[in-house]
Amino acid sequence: MKKISRAIVFIVILFGSSIPAMAQGAKESSLNNPLALTLVVIIAALALIIAMLAYVVYGAAEIELKKHQQQKTEGKLTGTVLTIVALFISAIANAQDAAATPAPASSNIGGLSSSTFYILLAVLLVEVAAIFFLLFQLRFLLGLQKRKVEESLVGEAGAVEYKAAKPELNWWDKFNKFRPVEQEVDIDLGHNYDGIRELDNRLPPWWLYGFYITIIFGVVYLYRSQVSHAAPSPAEEYQAAVVKANAQLEEHLKDQKNKVDENTVVLLTDKSEIEKGKAIFAANCVACHGKLGEGIVGPNLTDDYWIHGGKINDLFKTIKYGYPEKSMQSWKEQLTPVQIAEVASFIKSLKGTNPPGAKEKQGELFVEGATTPASDSTGAVKADSTKPAK
Amino acid sequence: MQVEKFYYDNKIVRAFAYATVLWGIVGMLAGLWVAIQFYAPAASLNYAGTTFGRLRPIHTNAVIFAFVGNCMFTGIYYSLQRLCKARMFSDLLSKIHFWGWQSIIVLAALTLFFGMTTGKEYAELEWPIDILITVIWVVFGINMFGTIIKRRESHIYVAIWFYIATWITVAMLHIVNSIEIPVNLFKSYSWYAGVQDALVQWWYGHNAVAFFLTTPILGLMYYFLPKAANRPVYSYRLSIIHFWALIFLYIWAGPHHLLYTALPDWAQSLGVVFSVMLIAPSWGGMLNGLFTLRGAWDKVREEPVLKFFVVAITCYGMSTFEGPMLSLKNVNAIAHFTDWIIGHVHIGGLGWNGFMAFGMLYYLIPKMFNTPLYSKKLATNHFWLGTIGIVLYAIPLYWAGFTQSLMWKQFTEDGTLQYPNFLETVTQIIPMYITRSIGGTLYLIGAFFMVYNLYKTVKQGSFIADEAAEAAPLEKAHSHAKEYWHRVIERKPMQMLVISLIVVAIGGLIELIPTFLVKSNIPTIASVKPYTPLELQGRDIYIREGCYTCHSQMIRPFRDEVARYGEYSKAGEFVYDHPFQWGSKRTGPDLAREGGKNPDSWHFMHMFDPRQVSDKSIMPRYPWLYQNDLDISTTPGKIRAMQTLGVPYEKGYDQIANTALETQAKEISFGLKTDSKVKQLMTVEGISNPEKKEIVALIAYLQRIGKDIKGGQKSKTAQASLK
Repeated sequence: MKKISRAIVFIVILFGSSIPAMAQGAKESSLNNPLALTLVVIIAALALIIAMLAYVVYGAAEIELKKHQQQKTEGKLTGTVLTIVALFISAIANAQDAAATPAPASSNIGGLSSSTFYILLAVLLVEVAAIFFLLFQLRFLLGLQKRKVEESLVGEAGAVEYKAAKPELNWWDKFNKFRPVEQEVDIDLGHNYDGIRELDNRLPPWWLYGFYITIIFGVVYLYRSQVSHAAPSPAEEYQAAVVKANAQLEEHLKDQKNKVDENTVVLLTDKSEIEKGKAIFAANCVACHGKLGEGIVGPNLTDDYWIHGGKINDLFKTIKYGYPEKSMQSWKEQLTPVQIAEVASFIKSLKGTNPPGAKEKQGELFVEGATTPASDSTGAVKADSTKPAK
Repeated sequence: MQVEKFYYDNKIVRAFAYATVLWGIVGMLAGLWVAIQFYAPAASLNYAGTTFGRLRPIHTNAVIFAFVGNCMFTGIYYSLQRLCKARMFSDLLSKIHFWGWQSIIVLAALTLFFGMTTGKEYAELEWPIDILITVIWVVFGINMFGTIIKRRESHIYVAIWFYIATWITVAMLHIVNSIEIPVNLFKSYSWYAGVQDALVQWWYGHNAVAFFLTTPILGLMYYFLPKAANRPVYSYRLSIIHFWALIFLYIWAGPHHLLYTALPDWAQSLGVVFSVMLIAPSWGGMLNGLFTLRGAWDKVREEPVLKFFVVAITCYGMSTFEGPMLSLKNVNAIAHFTDWIIGHVHIGGLGWNGFMAFGMLYYLIPKMFNTPLYSKKLATNHFWLGTIGIVLYAIPLYWAGFTQSLMWKQFTEDGTLQYPNFLETVTQIIPMYITRSIGGTLYLIGAFFMVYNLYKTVKQGSFIADEAAEAAPLEKAHSHAKEYWHRVIERKPMQMLVISLIVVAIGGLIELIPTFLVKSNIPTIASVKPYTPLELQGRDIYIREGCYTCHSQMIRPFRDEVARYGEYSKAGEFVYDHPFQWGSKRTGPDLAREGGKNPDSWHFMHMFDPRQVSDKSIMPRYPWLYQNDLDISTTPGKIRAMQTLGVPYEKGYDQIANTALETQAKEISFGLKTDSKVKQLMTVEGISNPEKKEIVALIAYLQRIGKDIKGGQKSKTAQASLK
C-alpha cells in the first residue's frame, strides 16, 4: 500500500514538473523557435532525470532511515535529503513557470529575447546542479552503506557465523525491484527450452509507471487535438506563425531605414555599407555579372553604359523587380530593401574599375546628374511604391 | 517414456549464415558508395545504374531484405529446431526457401539496377518479384509451422511468439501494400493514389521496420542471449506484456512518417500517440535482454558475442526512445526530411541489426563447426571498430540534420529567408557527410575482419551437418489443469497465429478504412487534372531514376516552407498520383511546386550537368536522358491502366494519347531550341531530335508538378494567410 502511494506521489511530482511546461507550450508561441524548443526539451529531459534520481535517492535514504531506526538513532539525514529533494523539484517547476512568462524583448539570441534565453539557461544550470547534488547525495548514502557493511564485518571478525541470510539490496536493485541473484531459485518457473530457463521477476516499477504515463499522455493528447481542439491543427499552427511573423515584420518596418524603395533610395557611401554590398554581390550576382562585375551572361557593370538606366534608383528598381524577359531575375524575395540599396551602391562604386575581360558596352551612355533618357520609373512601380517589399 | 533420436539440420543454417555475410558486405558496400556520392557526385560514374537514385534502393533492399532477412532466417532455422526439439518440417521446403529468397535478392538487385521500380520506399520491387516474395514467404511459413506442430516441447518459447507475429504481419503488410496494376512485365502502378497511397506505404514502411527489423531480431535475442550468457531469461511476465503490447501498438504508428503532410490530422494524431506509447513495450525487450545478463557481466568482458549483444540491445533502446521523440510534432518539424532521420535509422541498422547479426554469427559458426572461434581478439577488434564506426556515422548526421533544418527555417528580421538558396544549406554540411562515410568505412572494415575470422574458424573446424539430439515425444493427453492463462496459448501455435493477426490488424484497419471511405479526408479540388501522356511518361522516368530518394514533393504548412517553395500541399492535389512521390528526405529542395519555377532551358542544362548551372551542386548528372529515345509504345497501356484506377481520361484516349504526346514534346523542344546555350549543348552532344528524347518528357512532368492549384486557389489562400 505504501509503495503504491509512493508511486502516486512520484507520478504527481513528474506531472507537476511537466504540466507547466505543457501549458507553456500551448500559450507561449516563442516555443516555435527551435532554440527555445531544444532548451525546453533538454530542460524537460533533465527534470525527468532529476525526478528519477530523486526517487532513487529517496529509496536509498529510506533504507538508511530504516537502519537508523533499527539502531534507534534519528533519521535526520533522510529528512534533510527529502526536504532538499522536494525543494528542488518544486523549484524546478517554479522555474519553468518563470521561463514561461515572456520577457520584454530587448536583444536577440538565436531568435529568442535575451532574458528568455538566459532564464532558460539558468533553469538548465540549476537542473544540472541538482543532478550533481543528487548524485553526490547518492554517493554519500552508498558510501554510508558500504562503511556499515565493512564495520559490521570488522565487528564480527572474530565470530564464526556470518549474517548471510539476507543479502544487501542496493538502490539499483530496489529501483528495478530486483531479487538477489542468490534467490533466483525461488522464482525459477521451471521452464526449459533448449536449456533456457525463465524467471518470474516482477515488472520493473519505473517501467510500468512509465508505460501508464505514456498511455495517459496518449489519451490527453488525442482529447486535446481531436476532441476539444485545444491543440492547434497544422493549418492553424501555420496561420498563427504567419500572423506572428507579419506582426513582427510590421514592427520592424516601423524603423524608417527599412522603408527604402526605388523612389527614396539614395547612394550609400559609407565604407561598411559598400562592403556589405560587395558580400551580397559575391553571393548572388557573380554567376552572371562576373567576379569583378565585368559581365558574363549579364552585362558589364563597370562601364558607363546601362541598359535599364544607371541612376541609383534605376539600379534599385532593376534589382528589385528584375527584367525576366532579359533573364535578369527579381530579387525582392531574396534581398531586403536595405540589401538591395547596398548592393546597388556597391555596383555604382565599380564604375571605371576596368576589370580584365570586360564585356562590350551595352545600353546607353549614362552621365551622372543628367536627366535619364529612356528609363521610365513610373508605370509598374507606382502601384507598389507605397508597399514595402517583404 | 520413450526417448526419440533425431537430427537438427545445420546445413540450411550454414547456407543462410553464408548468405547473411555475403549480402551484408554487398549491402554495406552499396551504402558506402551512396554515402560517397553525397560529396563526390562524380562517384555516380554518370551511369544510370550506379547513380544515387537507383543505388540507394539497392542499398536499402540489400541491407534490409538480404542481410537482415538472411540473418533472421539463419537464426530462426537454428533456434526453431532446438526450441521445438525437432528437425525442420521439410528439407525440401528449406531448400526452396533458401534458393527462392536468394533469387529474389538477385532479381531485386538487377531490376533496381535497370531502373524497374514501383517508386515506393522499401517496396520498390516490381509485381512479378512481389508475387515471388509472397510464394517464398508462404513456403517459409509452412516450413515453420510444420516444425512447430511436430515439436517435442509442450509449450512454445517467447522467441517463437515473435517469429509467428513476424510471419503473419509481414505477409499482411506485403500483400496490402503491393496491390498494383501491371502495365507490362516490368512496370506497374500502385492501386492507391496520393494520400491513401502514402498512408498504406508508411503503414507498410514503418512496420517493415517493426516486423522485419525488430520483432524477428527480438526473437533471436531471446534465444541467443540467454544461450551465450548461460543465464535464465529475466522475466517471463515482462516477455508476455511487452510482446503483446509491442505488436498491438506498433502497427498504429505509421502516420508519424507523415506528420504535417496532407494526411488527415486525426491520423497524424494517432501516429503521434501510438509512437509515444511504444516506448515502454520496446524497452521491455531491452530490459529483458540486459537484465538477463545480471550476474553475467563478468562474461561480457571476456566474450565478444555478448559484447555485440549488449551494444546491439543498447542501440535498440536508444533508437526506440528516439523514435517516439521524433514522433512528437515539434521535434518532427525539425528532424523530418533531414539527415537526422538517416542517423536515427542507422543506429537501429548498424547498431541493433548489424551487431545482433555479428554476435549471432560469432556464436553459431563455431558451434556448428565444433570448434572455438579462430580469434576472440580479432572479434573484439571488430567490435570496437564497429562501435566507433557507428558513433562516427551517427553523430555527424544528427549534427547535419539539426544544422540544416535550422538553416531552412531561419528568417531575417526583414521577413525573408536567411538562406534562400537551398544549396547553401547543403554545402554547409558536406564535412558531416564526409565524416559519416568514414564511420561507415570503419564499420565495413570491421565486417571484413569478421569474414576472415569466420573463414578461419570454418577452416579449422569440422562441420556437423546433422546434429544429433534426443527428446521424448509430445504427450497428447496431458493435464494442464491449473496453468497460467498465457501458458494455454503457448500450447496452441495456430491460435497464437490467429490472435496475433487480429491484434496487428486492428490498428491498420482503423487507420486505413476511414481514409479510403470517408470523402472529407481528401477534399477534391476541381482544378486538379490528370497528367498529359507526356507528363505521365516523364513521371515514370522521375520514378525510374529515383528522384524521390532526394527530393520531396510535400510542402508542409510552415512559414519557411511556404516562403521557400510556395503554397503548402493539399490532400486533393495528389488524387491522380499512382504512386505518390512525397519522398522522405530532402537532399535537394522540395519539388511540389517546381512547375513553372525555372524555364525549360534551365532544366535541360541542369539535368545534363548540374554543376554547370550551380557550382557546388551535389546532384548527379543524367546524360543518358539525352541519348535514350522515349519509349512511347507503352503509352496506350499506361493510359488504360490509369483508367482502370479511376483516372478520368476520356474513353478511347489511349488510342490518341501518343498524338497528344508528340505535339507536346514538339512544343517543348521548339521552345528549347530558341535558347542559345541549349542549342550549343545540342550541337556538342549531337542531339538533333530532342522531342524524341526522355529528357523532354521529364521536363514536361517537372513543369507540371504542383501547377494545378498554383493559379487562383494559391493566391487566394496566400492572401488569406497574409492577413
